[in-house]
Amino acid sequence: MKILVGYKRVVDYNVRVQVKPDGSGVATDGVKLSANPFDDIALEEALRLREKGVAEEVVIVGIGPADLTAHLRNGLAMGANRAIHVTTDGAPQPLTAARTFLKLIEKESPDLVILGKQAIDDDANQTGQMLAALWGRPQATFASELAIADGKATVTREVDAGLETIEAELPAVITTDLRLNEPRFIKLPDIMKAKSKPIDVIEFDSLGVDSGDHLKTANYAPPPKRSKGEMVEDAAGLVAALKQKGLL
Amino acid sequence: MSDVLASLRHLLPSERVLTEPSDLEHYGRDWTRQYPPAPLAVALPESVEEVQALVRWAVEQNVALVPSGGRTGLSGGAVAMHGEVVVSMQRMHRILDFDPIDRTLTVEAGVITETLQQAAREKGLYYPVDFGSRGSSQIGGNIATNAGGIKVIRYGLTRDWLAGVKVVTGTGEVLECNRGLVKNATGYDLRHLFAGSEGTLGLIVEATMRLTDPPRAPQVMVMAVPDMDSLMQAFAMFRARLPLTAFEFFTDKALAHVLAHGGKRPFDSEAPYYVLVEYETPDEATSEAALAAFEHGAEQGWLIDGVMAQSETQAAELWHLREGITESLASRTPYKNDVSVRVSRVPAFLADMQALFAREYPDFEVVWYGHIGDGNLHISVLRPEAMAMQDFVTECGRVTGMLCEVLQRHGGSISAEHGVGLLKKPYLDTIRTPAEIELMRQMKRVFDPHGILNPGKLFDS
Repeated sequence: MKILVGYKRVVDYNVRVQVKPDGSGVATDGVKLSANPFDDIALEEALRLREKGVAEEVVIVGIGPADLTAHLRNGLAMGANRAIHVTTDGAPQPLTAARTFLKLIEKESPDLVILGKQAIDDDANQTGQMLAALWGRPQATFASELAIADGKATVTREVDAGLETIEAELPAVITTDLRLNEPRFIKLPDIMKAKSKPIDVIEFDSLGVDSGDHLKTANYAPPPKRSKGEMVEDAAGLVAALKQKGLL
Repeated sequence: MSDVLASLRHLLPSERVLTEPSDLEHYGRDWTRQYPPAPLAVALPESVEEVQALVRWAVEQNVALVPSGGRTGLSGGAVAMHGEVVVSMQRMHRILDFDPIDRTLTVEAGVITETLQQAAREKGLYYPVDFGSRGSSQIGGNIATNAGGIKVIRYGLTRDWLAGVKVVTGTGEVLECNRGLVKNATGYDLRHLFAGSEGTLGLIVEATMRLTDPPRAPQVMVMAVPDMDSLMQAFAMFRARLPLTAFEFFTDKALAHVLAHGGKRPFDSEAPYYVLVEYETPDEATSEAALAAFEHGAEQGWLIDGVMAQSETQAAELWHLREGITESLASRTPYKNDVSVRVSRVPAFLADMQALFAREYPDFEVVWYGHIGDGNLHISVLRPEAMAMQDFVTECGRVTGMLCEVLQRHGGSISAEHGVGLLKKPYLDTIRTPAEIELMRQMKRVFDPHGILNPGKLFDS
């Protein structure tokens, strides 16, 4: 079995993001970039399936500029067999990303595609669902447990009412939730080994993907600053202040 | 006694004089647990003038004062067990001034270490003294103990970042030492007397701390090491090849405690020692150099296995393996030693120390870890459940006496960074000469002629 895993690079979860002064986006110069946490979980799950003997090959996919190589090397060091780097200077929106994945699926014929449920930069939570629809295959989103047997994926999903267990026939698209697993650390000897693992570089333009980037960014703005606390003299003052704010 | 309290209440508003038993217990002790707290009251001044008034009042009433910061100390320096008045700096927590040209922050003594670090970061700068209790400890306490921690190998101790300090002496006088100057060759630098003074010379009320550039893209690795010689070899190699900001080590026993408390195992390989290395990666070449260093260490047999953080989250998880040790042992109320020798003497000292513990602590679990790059080891001795606390402390005290002899042989110190307080007081004379201790006593008398400032700590006057 072959598993395709989306492996996006985003601003590190722990970085307090800063809006660019002109409001055109978020500052990324000199900012720590890391794997999208949900994608790390996707890769971890694929590696565990391989370690269990369910899968033979795990291929990670990154879409982005030339310097994405170092990021893909991390995924290879974590354990992926090989990587596909679709090079583009743009930042494709979910529909474009889904169409790109579809092209790669046509080339690679994977049995399973595992994606993060969303990337923590745009929080779109769309690519997996769009890809399943374009591919005409089942989708199981927000997986918190995954088992593969007899050509089927049994997926436990976290839904509002609790846990829902569904079956999906393979090939299928699965998107990962936070509790699916805890990704491993990357071992230093594996970083060395990853240097000789293959990365297929494919020009985005050569894939013949129709751009689906129809969203235009109007403006970015930081959240309003929290105003300072006010000290009140006594309980009566507190009541008066709350009333004044219309909270009582 | 009630007259004394009444006059204290006259000095400060009633809500800033605490006498409830729960408050007396809370403010009367630090992270050591063997000293029963019994202060008379807790005072919460809000200004330098109020601190002065408290000192003058204490002289008049002949009441001892115990300066109190975050009380995260591990030597009993902030313990009040003899009817003292605890002077808590927690209400003096304002950031007074930032100077972008001098690159200094001037703060009141009660500012929490992490708040100072955060304030520096918001200005695009960095306050580099850092340790596990950053979220509770206060800058005044950091200075009074000359706090060290996890970045000493690169950035030194609190003393090295102290540009100026304002103190109230034992006569109520205010001293402004050094006033932020870089150069000031005008005789004795009193500022440095207060670094490590443990509250015995004056109450620290304000400090001007120097800041520096933030580290460039810090990277964290944790590696497994087969033996102590390999650890020292690996240290020498990494220090020569990388801009290190931390080089910390811990034993398999320490790791086991952290893992039992929810830490995340870095890799499956097991080894007697582990090392956490943090370094800056200003460029691609440094990242490569780090990998090459690991490769070399592995070829030499110094390093068995290792991982590298790929995100800030993972970096924090790896740091937790080292920083979580204290917390993972806390419920066992360990007996702590905090010793140092010159880095070059570490292997020889360790061999003697391990032999001593094997002989004298056959039935105790001994967990050790520390800052190998500073020649500083932390040793936590765990009490067997069946043993009474008092017997345990007595037994550990006995062995600590023997540890002092080992330290003397290797030219080391019984307190590397925790201070002397009450816990190390019996051993001070194994490290400092009678002449030195007498000079310290005389100095205390000069700053505190009435003997009201944290008496009984450091030495008996």
